[in-house]
Amino acid sequence: MEINKKTSGSIAILQLKGRFDAHEIAPVTAWLQTQIDTGIFHVIVNLEGVNFIDSTALASLVRGLKHCREKGGDLRLCVLQPAVRVIFELTRLDKAFNILVTEEEAAASFGIS
Amino acid sequence: MKIAIVSTHPPGKGSLTEYGYHFIRFLRTKTENVSEIILLLDELPAGEKYEFGQEPGQVPVSVHVCWKFGAMNNALRIRQTVLETKPDVVLFNIQFASFAGGKVAATLGLLAPWLVRSSGFKTAVLLHNIMETVNLKQAGFGGNPVIETVIRLFGNMVTRFILQANLVAVTIPKYVEILEAKYHANNVLLAPHGSFEETNREMPSAVPAGPPNIMTFGKFGTYKKVEVLVEAFERLLPDHPTAKLVIAGTDNPNVKGYLDGIRDKYARVPNITFTGYVSEEQVPIIFGDSWVVVFPYTSTTGSSGVLHQAGGYGKPVVLPRLGDLEQLVIEEGYEGEFFEPESPESLAEAICRVIDHPERMMEMGSVNFMAATGLPITEVVDWYLIHFEQLLKK
Repeated sequence: MEINKKTSGSIAILQLKGRFDAHEIAPVTAWLQTQIDTGIFHVIVNLEGVNFIDSTALASLVRGLKHCREKGGDLRLCVLQPAVRVIFELTRLDKAFNILVTEEEAAASFGIS
Repeated sequence: MKIAIVSTHPPGKGSLTEYGYHFIRFLRTKTENVSEIILLLDELPAGEKYEFGQEPGQVPVSVHVCWKFGAMNNALRIRQTVLETKPDVVLFNIQFASFAGGKVAATLGLLAPWLVRSSGFKTAVLLHNIMETVNLKQAGFGGNPVIETVIRLFGNMVTRFILQANLVAVTIPKYVEILEAKYHANNVLLAPHGSFEETNREMPSAVPAGPPNIMTFGKFGTYKKVEVLVEAFERLLPDHPTAKLVIAGTDNPNVKGYLDGIRDKYARVPNITFTGYVSEEQVPIIFGDSWVVVFPYTSTTGSSGVLHQAGGYGKPVVLPRLGDLEQLVIEEGYEGEFFEPESPESLAEAICRVIDHPERMMEMGSVNFMAATGLPITEVVDWYLIHFEQLLKK
């Protein structure tokens, strides 16, 4: 899986590409933890390039969401491919996450620069 | 958040005690989200009691014994206890026979989620099986086609009542599809079963020492029947004279005396151990000593907690070619040898394909270990908490 990390003001953004599963979660989990440890609680994970996601990967996002919200922030998702959106709907995690259509919308939704 | 959980729990011997135990164990670690856990548990036999310590960093627990397996008034008692304890959310950890073996009492008990929701409480159900996939005859509830039809009708009605909960979680994707298609439900979600085991356990480095140890684990007598397994074991004994068969667990509460009957019927077969009730402390030993875990099921009523346990101990598994189990094995990344249900020959061959090939045994164990430990139940608990928070926002 390809991982691209960037920041936009006080928002940390992770762009993922490829298969997001149990074998690929370690760097994502580590990156999310680093954001929390360094006081960045507004996070966007862009799933535009992700064509498969499994329960372990979902769990890593849930964990990130939980930690961000505990600190007053949020972890937002954007650009879900149909196959990935189905998994979010099946687990009803689409109700728990704020899911935006584009990365720009996700960044703007925080209302911060 | 103040969470009530309707469940069984050790030392109770009802179904889903293992799941209840581990779910509550990890829920107690979520101090940042949960302020109190109210346990609504079933009555224990005389002389037994629930014990919950209170250590620093654990969510406090209060125990309310408010239902009894087989009783007619369980739903009313549960509702009354919820009214008295006033939780924010009530979670039911149940399956179709959780509250009774008898049809009427089982049906009445399953009205509890609806009653609780009707009383104004946010209600979630973790439903471990659904009526549509249960072979009633083999699960011990059938008898003749008319009775089966009546039970199915009641099952449909009860399912509609269960679906009155705010959320209904199931552990197999197919169950979501069935409930949405047949009942037009829009409150059903897929929640992974999760691994019971500590994530710091390592995959065994070798096959356990000693003779081949073939183990089966569960509550036997309804759809978990050991006759075929014992007969398969008898068939493989000539080539494996030191092999042991360990039947770990007790009778299903609906079929008291079943294992005693098996012991008498197969007294001629040597090297069989009946462990009786397996305490939480004994579970790692029972699984750790086994070479292979066999699932002598004639039907399935849901995803198998034992499969996840076997995987958590890095064990190969031998399973019947039955819908739920085979699907779960494939979907959740497990690997097993399969046999034709009710065929001792087929089962003996499947067991030998495992125990005669140590490399294959380790390979299968490793695959199952990865599948079982990938998502520990502590993470699954977080999913539920996220869903509960959403419920409370409404």
